[in-house]
Amino acid sequence: MALTIKALNPGFVAKVTGVSLGEPFGEEVLAEIVSAIDNYAVCIFPDQPLTDERQLSFSARLGPLETTRRVNRADFKHRLDTRVTDVSNLDENNCLVARDSDRRMIAMSNRLWHTDSSFKKTPAKYSLLSARAIPSEGGETQFADLRAAYNALTEKKKQEIDDLIVMHWLTHLRSKTGFDHFTEAERAVEPPMPQVLVRTLPGLGRKTLYLAAHADHVIGMPVPEGRMLLMDLMEHATQPEFVHTHTWRVNDLVIWDDRCTMHRVREFGITEVRDMHRTTVSDVGPTIDQARVA
Amino acid sequence: MPLTVKPKNPSNPLFAAEVTGVDLSQPVADNVIIEIIAFMDIYAVGVFPGQKLSDEMQVAFSKCLGPVRPSRKNLRPGYKHRIDMQLSDVSNLTPGNEIREHDDYYRLSDLGNRLWHTDSSFKATPAMYSLLSARKVPSWGGETQFADLRAAYDALPEGKKKEIEDMIAMHAIMYSREKVGFTDFMQAERDLQPPVPQLIVRTHPGSGRKTLYLAAHAGEVVGMPLPEGRILLLDLIDHATQPQFIYTHNWNVDDLVIWDDRCTMHRAREFDMNEVRDMRRATVQDVAPTIEQEKAG
Repeated sequence: MALTIKALNPGFVAKVTGVSLGEPFGEEVLAEIVSAIDNYAVCIFPDQPLTDERQLSFSARLGPLETTRRVNRADFKHRLDTRVTDVSNLDENNCLVARDSDRRMIAMSNRLWHTDSSFKKTPAKYSLLSARAIPSEGGETQFADLRAAYNALTEKKKQEIDDLIVMHWLTHLRSKTGFDHFTEAERAVEPPMPQVLVRTLPGLGRKTLYLAAHADHVIGMPVPEGRMLLMDLMEHATQPEFVHTHTWRVNDLVIWDDRCTMHRVREFGITEVRDMHRTTVSDVGPTIDQARVA
Repeated sequence: MPLTVKPKNPSNPLFAAEVTGVDLSQPVADNVIIEIIAFMDIYAVGVFPGQKLSDEMQVAFSKCLGPVRPSRKNLRPGYKHRIDMQLSDVSNLTPGNEIREHDDYYRLSDLGNRLWHTDSSFKATPAMYSLLSARKVPSWGGETQFADLRAAYDALPEGKKKEIEDMIAMHAIMYSREKVGFTDFMQAERDLQPPVPQLIVRTHPGSGRKTLYLAAHAGEVVGMPLPEGRILLLDLIDHATQPQFIYTHNWNVDDLVIWDDRCTMHRAREFDMNEVRDMRRATVQDVAPTIEQEKAG
């Protein structure tokens, strides 16, 4: 064991030390990292100063990388490599974005509980978020453990939802935040996608909810009924006992398993810089195909 | 002092109490009405068990607290009312007393009651009190939860109190229904119920306590970009509905629960839709729009 793993939240969040992620390391260390994520779902690696190149090369060892969906916004000039999602409040000149800019309004939706890329046919497997500059207060990221939340459901509720399929949709955020400036490219590239509501994790065979703010409706249910079910499940899954709040330090790299967690960012001052760089590893296929194979 | 008051939750003793010692089916003396209002100013939610009320009795008692206003559902052309016109029908029943179909218009619209709200905040002059009488209750679920918005206000950090002090939110029934994906409104309903401005922080006249004033009906904050205002409202509702601010009421038949709409939110919880839940609500109107009240105060 090269790594030191310390549970911050038993079975859910761990602090991992003993590896420098910006340097080359062996396959056995990589296997230990994957095993830590399987066990904990959220792993915090403190003091990992990374360049985008190094973050990319480490991330690529975990699987194929997503391209930021901002490529569908011709109006955005990219500050970073398109394989790095720019989770900052900065424009391409490293200046704070305007208060009412589309960039900031889109980022507002990160304050809703979600899991990355659930609106894509093949969603995210892991997200890796590197803290480059952080505000003096606020801006915490909260994580919800959807495996523990599933386990805590009544048997009746488990039976009711076990085989349900949910349509996830990027533009569904409109009904939550009121943001409606989606481009034609975004609408065309990102139509509603079906995802299972309950999935089984390949690593340890555990069952988990799969939920996000992008979940729009449940197939086979009247829209309001499905949406109420989704809201009730989101609320259940984000009760304090399933939630861990991470207060960032510069050079924290946090890896989370998007297949079994939700996360959201908390409020921070609008005049301070928050510069976070995310790389995103794609899952092996659509959740529905994975469920069929299993 | 004929009333006996027993707080429901020892950890928040100034919110939600049971009241016995009065029969609300009979005319209630003025001094008892005054006592009930004084009680409501302190506790905000009053549970009066064993009150066997006809519609007529419920309306008569409610009128002792102020003017009673009918349901907005009457604004929809073609709506048939099952009960006394002065009461809102919070049931899953048709005018013929049959359980509504799975995809019934009014059943789907009423799913919006499962979102945290306060009654009639979408009206220029919203509700002061709601009086909900349980006539038939399902075998499980269907609880009503109440959130104490005075305690939630008190618990905000000073910075947040300052930030929201003078903010105004726009409330509309369409906003809350849009949240559950229910958009089937007739033009007449839309025309008669445009968004109305309400304060986010108000002062409760009876107790002098400051309180949040929030609801799923709130859809934007005046002067803020739409998404920013929505997230602010969501964060505030999230804050105000933490377990320490909540009382959950498990209904018995003939419970009458009165709540103060000026300083609480409430919501219904899931129940088996093949069972009857027949609740009838009288809604007592407030004295003026929230902005006018605060100016006058």
